Amino acid sequence: MPRQDRNPRRLLGILMMLLFFGFALLPIAWALILSFRPASHLFEPIWQSPTMLTLENFRSLLRSDFPHALLNSLVTAGTSTVLAMLIGVPGGFALAKGRSQKRFIASWALLLLRMAPPVGFVIPLFLIYLNIGLLDTWLGLIAAYMVLTLPLVVWSSWTSLAQIPDELIEASLLDGASLFQSLVKVVIPAARPGLIATGVLAFLIAWNDFFFALIITRGNTVTAPVSVMNFVSYASVDWGSIALASVVLTLPTLPVIIFANKYIVQSMGGAVKG
Amino acid sequence: MLLPAVLAVGIFAIIPLIGMFALSLTDFHLIKKWDQDIGFHNFVKLYNNKRFIASVEVMLLLSVFGVFFQVVMGTLIAVGLEKIIPRWRFMRGIFVVPFVVPAVAVALIWLSLLTPTLSPINDFFELFNITVPPFLTTQYGAITAIVIADTWASYPFVMLLILAALQGISSDLDEAAALDGATKIQIFFKITLPLLIPALLMVALFRFIETLKHFPLIYIMTKGGPGRSTQATNYFAYIQTFQNSNVSYGAAIAVFLFLFAAIISFFVARANARINDA
Amino acid sequence: MQLKNPVKNLFRATAVGVATLLAMPTQAAEEINVVLFSMSYTQGLAKLADDFEAKTGIKANIEVVGQDVFENRITLTFTGKTDDLDVVHTPVIQLQRWVAADWLQPMTKSVEGMDTKDDILAGPLDAYKVNGEQWALPFFAEAGMMAYRKDLLAEAGYETPPATWEEVLEAAAAIKKDGVAGAAMRVAPGQGFNMFVFPMIMRAYGGKFFANYPDDLTPAINSPESLKGLEVYSSLMNDYGPPGIGNFNYNEVAAAMQTGQVAMIFDGTAVAAWTLDPEKSQYADKIDLAPIPTGPEGRSPAIAVHGLGIPAGAPNPELSFQFIEWATSEEVLTKIAINEAFADFTRASVASNEEVIAKYQSIHPKFLDLKVQMLGDAIGHYRPLLPQWPQLGAAIGENINAAINGLMSNEEALAAAEEEMIEILEE
Repeated sequence: MPRQDRNPRRLLGILMMLLFFGFALLPIAWALILSFRPASHLFEPIWQSPTMLTLENFRSLLRSDFPHALLNSLVTAGTSTVLAMLIGVPGGFALAKGRSQKRFIASWALLLLRMAPPVGFVIPLFLIYLNIGLLDTWLGLIAAYMVLTLPLVVWSSWTSLAQIPDELIEASLLDGASLFQSLVKVVIPAARPGLIATGVLAFLIAWNDFFFALIITRGNTVTAPVSVMNFVSYASVDWGSIALASVVLTLPTLPVIIFANKYIVQSMGGAVKG
Repeated sequence: MLLPAVLAVGIFAIIPLIGMFALSLTDFHLIKKWDQDIGFHNFVKLYNNKRFIASVEVMLLLSVFGVFFQVVMGTLIAVGLEKIIPRWRFMRGIFVVPFVVPAVAVALIWLSLLTPTLSPINDFFELFNITVPPFLTTQYGAITAIVIADTWASYPFVMLLILAALQGISSDLDEAAALDGATKIQIFFKITLPLLIPALLMVALFRFIETLKHFPLIYIMTKGGPGRSTQATNYFAYIQTFQNSNVSYGAAIAVFLFLFAAIISFFVARANARINDA
Repeated sequence: MQLKNPVKNLFRATAVGVATLLAMPTQAAEEINVVLFSMSYTQGLAKLADDFEAKTGIKANIEVVGQDVFENRITLTFTGKTDDLDVVHTPVIQLQRWVAADWLQPMTKSVEGMDTKDDILAGPLDAYKVNGEQWALPFFAEAGMMAYRKDLLAEAGYETPPATWEEVLEAAAAIKKDGVAGAAMRVAPGQGFNMFVFPMIMRAYGGKFFANYPDDLTPAINSPESLKGLEVYSSLMNDYGPPGIGNFNYNEVAAAMQTGQVAMIFDGTAVAAWTLDPEKSQYADKIDLAPIPTGPEGRSPAIAVHGLGIPAGAPNPELSFQFIEWATSEEVLTKIAINEAFADFTRASVASNEEVIAKYQSIHPKFLDLKVQMLGDAIGHYRPLLPQWPQLGAAIGENINAAINGLMSNEEALAAAEEEMIEILEE
């Protein structure tokens, strides 16, 4: 490698990275600061009263329905992810190793489903749920999240599983395993990083949903993103609690994404191997 | 093995989708009486609606600029992580963080950052007597604000994909070029970038289709304002459905969006099929 | 309107296969489901749910959600005529629309049978009369009010708050300096946002929405009077408002006053809650309240009334009414007025309750009188009471907001607003 370490260009590059770093993290730092600020000092510069910090926002969060909503979010996003993986991964496998004429149509159909605008989707969904009593139930929410997660899981596991060499599968089939056994015993372990990434992305999509939950839940199964909006009341907007709730909403997915990002990179590698 | 997935997609996704198409052909209105009038009248009405045309323009502005900045920033960071600070691996995890902040929180955080009386950014520049221009009260300022917030939340997706693509590019080429005396910058533009083009195209199209669905950012940051200047098509569909109770008209707008996205996903699917079959 | 039509059948048909597997258990008889949106009163009421159970043996599930969440969900909930909702938060501004759509059931007989009916303030009660029927009982009536910084006005040479909008403009000009704006109001587009406050100025200058409401509903907002009002509003916001005012909603208005960035705000009675509570407001001791200013055509404070109604699908209206009667009773309203920071109430007996008076006087000596005065000055149709109002208000509000933000001229905005009103009414 040529020696360019002291090169001013490299310095410029590091400066650029620092700028991006600031852009990425300062808004989060701001949310963290708001979470610990008392209502009376929320919007004055932090350097004017750096010691005015409080845990009051935690108390108001605990008093609200937010913990309950967090549980709803965990259950519904988690279950729909697991179900979508159970159903979607074999589907992705079939597409990855099946005849190639199907692939184009399948990938287009999957993308289309990912793209369907929720505003158009949610009214028919609401009317169906109304008639079969699925409104405000975990089951209804999980089913709705399958709409979001399943196409993603099929698409993403398809690209991951396509990278598994055919020889591996053929070898296990020769050993007398069924196709399904070889999927479970050979293919899935080999494609683990990609599948982990797929699961993480699917969970994120369901976890972040706002619109579906807004329309098809009520008090019993309200999810955390919707419950955040309940801190906006007419008498006041509880910015401290909103900021804290946002931070809390980010926490469960944060370690996952930080540690799983290398798997995500690996699995996306399948989609863009160039 | 495909069957369970096909069945599940059919039940969970296709049925509401058919419902959406069916609604768009009716005149179902939450308040008005039902006329049993079935046909394409909602689409005719759309075609003649200036607000709808304007909403498509806003949507395209938001999508084109949003995708442009996300792709540029995501690519620069990915390349920077790989080539400038390759040894600081933990930085990768840190740069992904905005990706996991839920959209509602993204919107609320940026709303407080872009409201001059509340924002620490304004407080900071006040120290030097610099006035930051208000973002949310001019048409292009508000569009910029949404683009900034969207870029913040979505560049990590681009970054992850480009990182993946970069790792697929063999370093032999770089080294050979370096031996020939090419600078790193030359290597990037002459060798790396051309190899990244399929990945860039793919991620741009992906993001483009996602940006067509903008909702929480507009709903929380601008309410479609100032005036109507950030009422993108998806938000316009929401207004028709929920504010004006005109469900079938809202569904017609959603069908338009769906068809528009269908055309673009056709190209994504084709690009993907080529890459996978290569 | 119920979905007695092909669409519903379509959904029934497609759904029926799954239905049998997923039927939900029906609700127990001695429970009542109440949906409200978040304000002082509703939060206070939720805390008293056990009182209701102790008294009647009926368990009240009171759900309090954010206003945005409420508004998005409720129309769809009504459309379904679900039977699992017994009492619903009914803002007066939505009443005509809900009645036109058959989403509520009347409670006329039950209300007439109440012993304490005359104790309810007549204005808010009558606001819930449509087509000769009573549709809800009020728990909240808020009128426009002004809050101002005594110190900043004194510095600018004002010992008393400005009494007319002209004087407000002058005072704002005199006050405005680095870091402190003259005045702030809601400007964000929406029938509940800028259209809650703008008509205060428009009507003070003689502007109106219709030629002669309710007899002649010809849109008439494009008049020289409305234009004058819009010019005052625009100048007040753009020339003397804080930076970024063009996107302010009530929360930004409140925050600007709480952090000392503005000298005068004009909004609902809630200004007291925002500004006089030292927990939230850094300048609480320097802030005073005043009436909404007048114009050439007098004073027109904003008014908002909220109540409790019975959804059309509620299975047991007597039970629903029992809850509503309890929730708007003297006992409950008094309790909430004392427990909550700035809860509102709609019964004369509560206003004369000594404990309530003492509490409000300790916060602000003039507050109760001022509120009564503003309620008296407000006209019931401050925002026209029409089924189409939510849509009309949104359209007008968007044009007014565009004018404030310089996307079009004041004249163009009013012309466009009138044109769109005609279109909406013709539909």
